[in-house]
Amino acid sequence: MSNYIPTIGVEVHVELKTKTKIFSNSKNGYGQMANSLTNVIDLGYPGTLPTLNEEVVNLAIKAATVLNCKIRKQMHFDRKNYFYPDNPKNYQITQFQTPIGYDGYVEIELNNQKKKIYIEEMHIEEDTCKSTHRGTKTLLDFNRAGVPLIEIVTKPCMSSKKEAVLYLEKLKELLFYSDISDCKMEEGSMRADANVSIRKNESDPFGTKVEIKNIGSISNVGLSIEKEIKRQEKLYNNNETFKEQTRRFDDKLEDTVLMRVKETGNDYRYFPEPDIPFVVITDEMIEEVKKTIPMLPDERREKYKELGVSDINTNKLVQNRSLSDYFNQLLDKNTNHKIASNLLLGDISQYLNKTEKEIFDTTLTIPRFLELISLMEDNTLTSKNLKEIIDIVLESNKTIKEIMKDENIENITDDNAIREVIKQIISNNQESVEDYKNGHDRAIKYLMGQVMKETKGKANPKMAMDILIEELQ
Amino acid sequence: MEDKLTKEEVLHVAKLARIDITEEEIEKYQVELKQLLNEVEKINEVKGYDDEILIAPWSDNTTLRSDSEGEMLDPKKVIENAPKHSGNYIEVPVVIGESEGA
Repeated sequence: MSNYIPTIGVEVHVELKTKTKIFSNSKNGYGQMANSLTNVIDLGYPGTLPTLNEEVVNLAIKAATVLNCKIRKQMHFDRKNYFYPDNPKNYQITQFQTPIGYDGYVEIELNNQKKKIYIEEMHIEEDTCKSTHRGTKTLLDFNRAGVPLIEIVTKPCMSSKKEAVLYLEKLKELLFYSDISDCKMEEGSMRADANVSIRKNESDPFGTKVEIKNIGSISNVGLSIEKEIKRQEKLYNNNETFKEQTRRFDDKLEDTVLMRVKETGNDYRYFPEPDIPFVVITDEMIEEVKKTIPMLPDERREKYKELGVSDINTNKLVQNRSLSDYFNQLLDKNTNHKIASNLLLGDISQYLNKTEKEIFDTTLTIPRFLELISLMEDNTLTSKNLKEIIDIVLESNKTIKEIMKDENIENITDDNAIREVIKQIISNNQESVEDYKNGHDRAIKYLMGQVMKETKGKANPKMAMDILIEELQ
Repeated sequence: MEDKLTKEEVLHVAKLARIDITEEEIEKYQVELKQLLNEVEKINEVKGYDDEILIAPWSDNTTLRSDSEGEMLDPKKVIENAPKHSGNYIEVPVVIGESEGA
């Protein structure tokens, strides 16, 4: 049992979903031929001047809003000076003194209790070029240079890896749903660093801080925090001290590895970027941006639960943006939302996975879906039958009833017709009837099997079962 | 006020600029860099400087650019300007450590 208290803060870099770069009009794209998405500004040619992309400011306002941050009405950029091959100007344009957003929070649910993870600040900056190390050389691709980023920094307010993971999942969900970023950690459009220190008591000063850089997945953030806490505990238990340092998480070792020890504070010699005058954010700009924020995940969850959708289905729907957007069109419809969620996550999802389609690529309009739900609800169409026609349902424009007719799917929903068949079966299977009366559960299953056989599977199963039990009394 | 920087301060500046300097140069810069700093210090004496920072020599605010694509450079031209390249990549000697930036 550990007797240390961890203190954790997280910094996240997110690439913004814009058409062009932050300070130039070259394309913001991923996975294209190296150095094909650049111009003289991205490459830091002498005499070039940056121009700030309007959409970057809008998306940053949007992010600040969904992260409950205050928004700075007048801001500027700063130069962060350092020499490194990924940075052709020898400075990165970022925000140091006047981050666009500050004092925000994200709410997570930890052990059924809500907890706010506080955001210190979020600022706008440009991405650097991508370096790939190959033996004795480093290869540079400037397609990423100048891609717009926002960096979101929490206060050191988390005390377990679980909190950090929940925070990141929530953050990703919020940014993804509001179309700020595609948040693909595997493509580097979302990158996380964690700051970890430990101490014995709440009243002690913070322990020595270790920064773990560029962790490739949310689960690895959790794992790296866990490993780093253990490493620091071991050192303190052996009465060893260590210096502030930067480490990285090694996927293969599944542990943190030293990158550099910070001998002195970073010496970036920040100063205001003179090439970009003050940026003024008006209330009108903020109001316009707010109009573009779609319904966020927490509100979706609440609404789905109110409509009787199970917790599991609610979470699954929210995890799938397009299914959730589709489901939202049913919110004000008088239908069975529980069946709707089952259908979307069951047979329909199976079809979508199989065909690699999105729900909006299918022919399932809302009126047709409502018809399907209603046919399922009154058992006119059984789950078994649906499986047979699901492809047609999602690929044709016919009504569901027409499809059922074409495919010769007809359920016997006539009470009397089913009752006749059941009476016949009961009189032909007296042995099973006796077994049933003696409490053998299997007997009723056998009798039901006979009913389905006799009706060639067309009897509405629920109706048949009810009548069978009735007739057996 | 000291009339020169310490040797360590000069070496630190040299390190940040990624340059090697000789003993003679260190002594020279101890004096020269201090003189520069003294000149800059004078700016702080101007009254009202703290009222609002001035970041650009004009008073207009930034005009934002619309998010539409413009012309880009031919990758061949891009790599032509680099001493070495490997395919379409610009090649540099391996750099230890990671970017300080983003």
